[in-house]
Amino acid sequence: MVTDESIIAVEDLVVRYGDRTVLDGITFNVRQGEVFVILGGSGSGKTTLLRNLVGLMRPASGRILIKGDDFTAMSEDERIELRKKMGMSFQSSALLESLSLADNVALPLREHTALEESTIDIMTKIKLELVGLGGFEDYLPSELSGGMKKRAGIARAMAMDPEFIFYDEPSAGLDPIVAAGIDGLIRKLQETFKITSVVVTHEMESVKLIADTVCMLKGGEIVGIGTLDELESSQHPYIQQFFARQPDDEGSSESAYARALTGIE
Amino acid sequence: MTKAVDVAGHVGRWTINQLAVGARVSVLMVETFAWMIVAPLRGKGLRVKAAVEAFVEFGVRSLPIVGMICFLVGVIIALQSSYTLDKWGANRFIATLVAVSALREMAPLMTAILITGRSGSAITAEIGTMKVGEEIDALEVMGLNPIKYLVVPKFMAMVLAVPCVTVVAMFIMIFGGFFASVLVVGVDPAIYIDMTTDSLVEKDLVTGLVKSVFFGVAICWVGVYRGLQVEGGAEGVGRQTTSSVVTSIFLIIIVDLVFTVLFYFI
Repeated sequence: MVTDESIIAVEDLVVRYGDRTVLDGITFNVRQGEVFVILGGSGSGKTTLLRNLVGLMRPASGRILIKGDDFTAMSEDERIELRKKMGMSFQSSALLESLSLADNVALPLREHTALEESTIDIMTKIKLELVGLGGFEDYLPSELSGGMKKRAGIARAMAMDPEFIFYDEPSAGLDPIVAAGIDGLIRKLQETFKITSVVVTHEMESVKLIADTVCMLKGGEIVGIGTLDELESSQHPYIQQFFARQPDDEGSSESAYARALTGIE
Repeated sequence: MTKAVDVAGHVGRWTINQLAVGARVSVLMVETFAWMIVAPLRGKGLRVKAAVEAFVEFGVRSLPIVGMICFLVGVIIALQSSYTLDKWGANRFIATLVAVSALREMAPLMTAILITGRSGSAITAEIGTMKVGEEIDALEVMGLNPIKYLVVPKFMAMVLAVPCVTVVAMFIMIFGGFFASVLVVGVDPAIYIDMTTDSLVEKDLVTGLVKSVFFGVAICWVGVYRGLQVEGGAEGVGRQTTSSVVTSIFLIIIVDLVFTVLFYFI
């Protein structure tokens, strides 16, 4: 099911906030139909990387090729066309609070297609059913639990039958059972619809369930990339520490804390 | 020496910041007009339904409060002018004063300030909350331009709503003056109506309406700009909403001054 064909290619991506380099020389390929996990701790630049992939930020240099076209150098019209093939599930689910669930899911269909309202209705129902929210069409986002909002966000991302879905921390802030449900949903969508998925996460449990390829970030650079087994057997100290869930060395962090407090080197 | 350098540094930074604000506002203006005028001509559609809904919210729903305030301001202007005019036995000129100040100044100004407080703040809070909740990002990723989706309908609604409400406010303010003059001061109603119709010329109405269109522009753009500037959480929304109302009222007074000076000379 996962082909060797590269569908997203990131080449030497550099991103800066002012003078600070957040991502430095990121290069990787995402193969068609796989679940590609971007793994990293807080401040590793993983969310910044995702925001670049979906075009919410522009890199300082480097290229992002999506199906061979450079996303960073496109005209506004070409970007909109490409975005119709993309879905994104946000960390805060980012549903429009003023619209019902059905209207949220129907929004891209209404704005981008000339479909009849009755067709849109049916499609909306199907998408909500798909994520296990059948019967919740008329609810407002504020009336739902965190896990349900995440599912609704995924239903909206699925609205245009996308080729890619990007997930920002899909299981963050959810209890283990709900989180496992979301992981299962990601896997189901990938297996049923052959959707290429890029998932940003820091949850090892999710990674074990969903990842075909794992890309590990630290301090804006890739420290390891490969299957989960390959990374688990890696000799890189940070990867070993992350997988073993070990804290930073106590001694050095205490002296660093003292330095930060006193300002004395 | 260091003090002079400090001051120069502050002035420089302030200037650069203001220029950056100017640049961002200009981009916002250009994009609004592009999505309002150019894009529909190229078949990209205009969200007319959302604009109508916004017009009802900004315009129709503000009528009760604008009407009440403007009636009271009419009463106040009448009684205050009577204080001086009575000494000269010229109470019938209350009608002239109320009519001219309502049309040229007070009705447009009161309407704009009330709509700023009511809807300018709401625009900032709505867009700010959407920004904090990643809703603006979500629109963009779905290929929906936030300017087209959010700003243009509000802009069209505001630029139409402020003059429309202003016209109603003008009539109500004159009625407030009439009410106080006839019932409190004791001016003859027929004389009051005569004096009012005699004193008003078309130019007074045009002056008020031209101003109110620009008040609408200022309210909407300040509201949107401040909303898009929100960073952080609820606190950021609160700060920008306050700032939106203050900036808006300040700009309204400046626009008012510019047009008053302009109309004074032509």
